Amino acid sequence: MAKRTMSAVLGTMLLAASLLSSGATGAATNTAQADPLNSPMWDYNRQIFLGQMPWQFDARVQVSAPPFAEDPTQVPITVDASALGSEIDKVIAWADFNPIQHIFTWYPGDKVKPRVSLRIKVQQATPVRAAVLTRDGVWHVGGVQLEAAGGGCTAPSTGNADPYWESHLGEVASRRFGSEGSSRYRFKVIHPMDTGLVNNIPEFFLEQLELRDSAGEAVVKMQLYPPVSENPVFTFDLSNSTGQHQLWLRDNSGNEFEQAL
Amino acid sequence: MSKFGRGTGFAITALVAGMSVAGMSWAGVTDKDILNDQMTTDDVVSNGLGPKGQRFSPLKRVNTDTVKDLRPVWSFSFGGEKQRGQESQPMVKDGVMYVTGSYSRVFAIDVKTGDELWQYDARLPDGIMPCCDVINRGVALFGDLVIFGSLDAKLIALNAKTGKVVWKKKVADYKAGYSLTAAPLLVNGKVITGVSGGEFGVVGKVEAYDAKTGKLAWSRPTVEGHMGYIWKDGKKTENGISGGAPGKTWPGDLWKTGGAAPWLGGTYDPDVNLLFFGTGNPAPWNSHLRPGDNLFSSSRLAINPDTGKIVWHFQTTPNDGWDYDGVNEVVSFDYKANGKTIKAAGTADRNGFFYVLNRENGEFIRGFPFVDEITWAKGLDKNGRPIYSEAHRPGNPAASANGKKGTSIRAVPSFLGGKNWMPVSYSKDSGLFYVPSNEWAMDIWNEPVSYKKGAAYLGAGFTIKSLNEDYIGVLRAIDPKTGEEKWRYKNYAPLWGGVLSTAGNLVFMGNPEGYLMAFDAKTGEMKYKFNTGSGIVGSPITWEMGGEQYISVVSGWGGAVPLWGGEVAKRIKHLNQGGSVWTFKLPES
Repeated sequence: MAKRTMSAVLGTMLLAASLLSSGATGAATNTAQADPLNSPMWDYNRQIFLGQMPWQFDARVQVSAPPFAEDPTQVPITVDASALGSEIDKVIAWADFNPIQHIFTWYPGDKVKPRVSLRIKVQQATPVRAAVLTRDGVWHVGGVQLEAAGGGCTAPSTGNADPYWESHLGEVASRRFGSEGSSRYRFKVIHPMDTGLVNNIPEFFLEQLELRDSAGEAVVKMQLYPPVSENPVFTFDLSNSTGQHQLWLRDNSGNEFEQAL
Repeated sequence: MSKFGRGTGFAITALVAGMSVAGMSWAGVTDKDILNDQMTTDDVVSNGLGPKGQRFSPLKRVNTDTVKDLRPVWSFSFGGEKQRGQESQPMVKDGVMYVTGSYSRVFAIDVKTGDELWQYDARLPDGIMPCCDVINRGVALFGDLVIFGSLDAKLIALNAKTGKVVWKKKVADYKAGYSLTAAPLLVNGKVITGVSGGEFGVVGKVEAYDAKTGKLAWSRPTVEGHMGYIWKDGKKTENGISGGAPGKTWPGDLWKTGGAAPWLGGTYDPDVNLLFFGTGNPAPWNSHLRPGDNLFSSSRLAINPDTGKIVWHFQTTPNDGWDYDGVNEVVSFDYKANGKTIKAAGTADRNGFFYVLNRENGEFIRGFPFVDEITWAKGLDKNGRPIYSEAHRPGNPAASANGKKGTSIRAVPSFLGGKNWMPVSYSKDSGLFYVPSNEWAMDIWNEPVSYKKGAAYLGAGFTIKSLNEDYIGVLRAIDPKTGEEKWRYKNYAPLWGGVLSTAGNLVFMGNPEGYLMAFDAKTGEMKYKFNTGSGIVGSPITWEMGGEQYISVVSGWGGAVPLWGGEVAKRIKHLNQGGSVWTFKLPES
């Protein structure tokens, strides 16, 4: 941990230096910063997800996962960027060694804490990353190494063997918890979340998620990708606990689901 | 959706907006493009090469002299293990081909290179119940949308550039046996579809949806007694009971599960502003359970596209007892008689008769057999109603000793029909209909049956027999004015693909043996054949690009024949499955 913090600080300094000296894009200078998880996929994925924008490893972006993925199709992870404050534009999460790396892109907005928990699939032991874009245009990257026996992405969904989902697709079970001036939503959605990597089962996954307040305004906006687990479970913390909320989901087949929480 | 589906993960709207297919301009398909499709040779934007369904092209660069040099330019594989019957007709617009595959898949292909641009795979529930293979017959195009019907009875509109779902509507409940296999029809901004499911006691219907939004515009049941609806300003309004009232031509409650599924889709003629949809068999197959004409089963319906009302109907097989669906395409054509232009429609029925109707009012002009043998009827009366041969109707099981099986009889044609789904072509140049037909018989008997949701509702057993050792399929050139057969081509296996005729004096069609074939339209002489590697059960198209004429056809053996083949199975069991689209042109001179 200490090492990561050190390199994060170093990165910030390098970034600051480069901005001062030339005003050029920071990405080039950041390559000096070694990946604390030492992954051969880091540079490749960074270019895909962060492009040419300035970035830094930042211990304030916490990604937590169990030490070992007991069930690689249902791995609980939490991304917490609370330490960065509220000036957050978006959050992207990915798993380096998944055949489909992208897990989600999230636009937290002002009415939700920058903390989310959900379950994902992993194909093998992999770094799980979260990159948080703050409004000053810098990506802050955190991550954790997840150990796993693997196979989560190319195993057929249980929905493939059991037609239960066909008559319960998009059903939502939800709970609301009060906690210290905020309100926590946890919900589970019935959906196979097929990756398209299993023979003869096309990809079929929830693609958009919105949590809307009573005025219909989205307080949570998230794009999802096939590594999100089957029958996914999400936890969000709302800053403003009053009022009713509505969950809206759409999958890549154009099915839309709406549920009052 | 693959390929473009997952980008670098920004907002979907941005993803879609940022996507462009290199080097292609997209004008969007308009109602006018669709109405003029037959004459605009640089695209194919309707099923049937024009809403009249004539499947005739004025192109003639490929003709009886040059066709011998026809060469494949590219072949595109649908991939996967889902190589079942491929009955699609491709569409082409602005350099992109849109074609469907088995299992509700859609592909967009660069026609210059054969490269895939995108692919959409519907995630189908395991519980789908298509009676006769997991096929699809093609898309409709409108604006920047690609619209098709899925096997779980949904209408799905995809963005033509990205393959992303724009809207999706449930047309009917797949768990009750409904599915969609036909290409939707696009008329005046509405997408019009029927439903499949006549083997499961569904209630057939034709529905119109706003093509841009997917909002339901009207719904017209095709079984007498069911209420139709129209939506005005979002309000659902009663729009008249089909046939006026229940029970006029059905006994008891049987109209509630009457079938009559318009599963093959329809055609449209702007001259008379009518949609023409054929309807399937009444349910169940056992006709003794439903004395009466059983309207509007085994019929042709003319429906006003604006109001959703039935303007006229013509029933080809009243009280059908042989599974003679009347779904076959109604092809509008004009001809001169006594100096007058007759607005006619030609249609070749599963029951073995070819009908010429007045398409303005549905009046019977003439009818004649287009197959060599018909046993179930002795002929047609002056109104076109069959004169039944009662000895060739399967016997009533209630009259049998144990009440379990009625007398088995031999009927010709078989239930798969003198002609099945495969569409005919009408050539303006020759004035002939080119009819893909089959010569086969069946043994059929009736059994007691009762309706159960989602279960086969037949009340019949059957098996197919061939009539000739050397052929089943016959492609016929027929003069609709006289009923005269001008020529025939005989095929060993049953024919199951559509026909295309061109101003190059050619008739194209494929066979289950895998060949794309071209015939002299006047003499029937075979001028060309090329083996595509699997059986052809789709419909060929032709268009031009850069001054060259192209011909495309899908290849992939399947459909109803291998599932229901009976004694015929031995003629086809060696045919291998496939899933590809082939494109041909002449070598550059």
